[in-house]
Amino acid sequence: MSAKTILIVGGGISGITTAVEAAEVGYHTVLVEKNPYLGGRVAQLNKYFPKLCPPYCGLEMNFRRIKTNPKITVYTSTEVESVSGQEGNYSVRLKVNPRYVNEKCTSCNACAEACPVERPNEFNFGMDKTKAAYLPHVLSYPMRYVIDRNACKDQSCDKCVKACAYNAIDLGMKPRTVEMHVGSIVYATGWNPYDAARMDNLGYGRFRNVITNMMMERLASPNGPTGGKFLRPSDNREVKKVVFVQCAGSRDENHLNYCSAICCMASLKQATYIRERIPDAKVTIAYIDLRAPGKYEEFLEKVKADANIRMVKGKVAKIEEDAATGDLLLEFEDVEGGGKIHERADMAVLATGMDSSVKDNAMLSFEENGFINGGKAAGIYSTGVAKRPSDVTTSIQDATGMALKSIQSLVRS
Amino acid sequence: MAQETVFTPDIKFVRELKKAGADTLKKCYQCATCSVVCPLSPDDKPFPRKEMVMAQWGLKDELVKSADIWLCHNCNDCSKYCPRGARPGDVLAILRKSVIQENAFPRFMGKIVGDPANIWQALAIPVVLFIVVLAMSGHLGIPEGNVVFSKFFPVHFIDMIFVPLSMLSVVMFAVSISRFWKNMTSGTGMTPKAGFMPSLVETLKEIMTHAKFRKCDENKDRSVAHVLVFYGFIGLAITTALAVFNLYILKWESPYPVDDPDVLAIFGGSTALVWIVKILFKLLANASSVMLLTGGVLVIKNRLKERGVETLTSSFDWLFAGIVLLVGLTGFLAQVMRVAHFPAVMAYGTYFIHLVLVFYIIIYMPYSKLAHFVYRTVAITWTKMLKRDVEI
Repeated sequence: MSAKTILIVGGGISGITTAVEAAEVGYHTVLVEKNPYLGGRVAQLNKYFPKLCPPYCGLEMNFRRIKTNPKITVYTSTEVESVSGQEGNYSVRLKVNPRYVNEKCTSCNACAEACPVERPNEFNFGMDKTKAAYLPHVLSYPMRYVIDRNACKDQSCDKCVKACAYNAIDLGMKPRTVEMHVGSIVYATGWNPYDAARMDNLGYGRFRNVITNMMMERLASPNGPTGGKFLRPSDNREVKKVVFVQCAGSRDENHLNYCSAICCMASLKQATYIRERIPDAKVTIAYIDLRAPGKYEEFLEKVKADANIRMVKGKVAKIEEDAATGDLLLEFEDVEGGGKIHERADMAVLATGMDSSVKDNAMLSFEENGFINGGKAAGIYSTGVAKRPSDVTTSIQDATGMALKSIQSLVRS
Repeated sequence: MAQETVFTPDIKFVRELKKAGADTLKKCYQCATCSVVCPLSPDDKPFPRKEMVMAQWGLKDELVKSADIWLCHNCNDCSKYCPRGARPGDVLAILRKSVIQENAFPRFMGKIVGDPANIWQALAIPVVLFIVVLAMSGHLGIPEGNVVFSKFFPVHFIDMIFVPLSMLSVVMFAVSISRFWKNMTSGTGMTPKAGFMPSLVETLKEIMTHAKFRKCDENKDRSVAHVLVFYGFIGLAITTALAVFNLYILKWESPYPVDDPDVLAIFGGSTALVWIVKILFKLLANASSVMLLTGGVLVIKNRLKERGVETLTSSFDWLFAGIVLLVGLTGFLAQVMRVAHFPAVMAYGTYFIHLVLVFYIIIYMPYSKLAHFVYRTVAITWTKMLKRDVEI
């Protein structure tokens, strides 16, 4: 007898969508996420297209659909260890990593207050710190604290255990293995920002005021490291002049040899973040081509109309730092005007592209650009950015489609 | 009123460029990374991004009068950072070759020397010429006895061929360069801000020190190789001039006897002084050829090593590097064979090949890769006159 469950790997907006859509038609879905929270990259955004609402309006709605649907099982802090079998009957082994906090947690923050150790906050790309006992972000799902045992230098420390009034902390928790049979699998493993330090001419990692577009989302976010203020990393001064560096690694055979599809719109959006909050701020967007497909063109026209936003055709190919002030000196050619521009800026935002997060998996077949085409065998699919670089809207549409594909697979086998 | 610009692409020119080695030029998508990473590109109207689009569009007329392509020293920093693998550095090398061919006078010489496929034609000219001269003077054959090169190919025959042809070549070169100068300076819409002579002096200083070349990041080693070849050539040019001076002014003939009475008279009867002059002369000749040889080997070594990131270069460049190396090698070998008493046929044969290659380098100068030293000097001088050159 074939299994009637769909496994979805990756709990970002695409994975959540596939899981919820399939469950709401009546199929059992298992949603596996390696982070201790759902929401993925979308959770890290300040606002997202098309309506430019904060991510929680979309995510909360989905969390609600998960909570109220008994057909969905969610595993966070969990990785897929192995998959074998064939369509209709895949044996899957999951490794559930310990969270050290159980479901009794009320998110009262007492453990974090008691915790003596700090760790870099990867949710904010290391721009601030959390305690070793922490809530991943303000609207985490599940709404439960986590303890980073890698950060607890003193493994005998039990201050958090003593501080917890609900008996929610168990430092003795061990990894456990879960085995199951599923009929079909959808990989919604998403993406990582391309490692900007690999572009040695752009200074990321050497100059503090060179940041990536994802870091910019966190700076802009009210729950980010600066509470939504555009303070540059070197001296926490509010920025007055920002340059967006388009195609930072994308469309480049030395880095990502494809267009990452979202960076143009992301930078246009981020330019409006700055302009909305700092009335006299000036923004330059240096691009090779501006890609604003379909209705996004209206947004592009709106941004273009802002006199304080300048768009220059020409790629930033050199960034240097004025060590005394921390200011950046960016160099690019104005292709339409015909001359090199040396621009001084408070901060540079590299529009870094999307790099496939899964690169090596014997069960999967990959596109030339490293994204997942699908399974080598029937009944395995990919969706969202795991399949191709795309924006949230496109990912959600694709994820809905993959819910149907994975259901068809169950019905077929 | 909307302004209309009509381009007439020269498709044939684009095909020629691609065939000559610039096959990557169509990959360029005009991001202008190259113009920024180039350490030699000026801020105002930088290169090579604009040359890339001109080449794609086949704007031959624009490119032929470009001074900027001569500011490029083929560091290939641009090719390293180019996101498309369009290799702007190599494309500019091919463009320079085309400009040499385009301005060549007479035009057919540009075609013979400029296209590596015609190498046999180019070599056949001196071979036939030499054989005819030797046959007509009854010297065709291998002389008996010890190897003395002037017995095989009397020096005054060599001079009879080389002196007038070199002079002709200089005239041809002057015509080619004046064509180039006219192309380059007319219709640019830019007026010079500095005089010709001061700019030329500044340019020559820069060339002597290789200051521009040393600004390259990506393949610094090339400047060392080029310095050696450069000074090797200059040393050999001086050697040749001295040899002519010895022969025709001092009447002092190879193998330069130290007891030649006329020569002794000039040096106040001191055999030691004559000996020192002779040794210095030989030292200059040998040091220069060693430099040329070492430089030539390094050039080829760098080219082979750099195949990945840096220059791929055209067969035009390869050919010239090969010929330079062979000139040095055959010259050196001929001398070794003479001194070490190799069979006469080998020594004379090597010497003959040497002379053919020397002919190639000297007489074909206006059309070969070597022409770049004048084109580049002239173009950099013009750039300095316009004050648009980068600060070194």
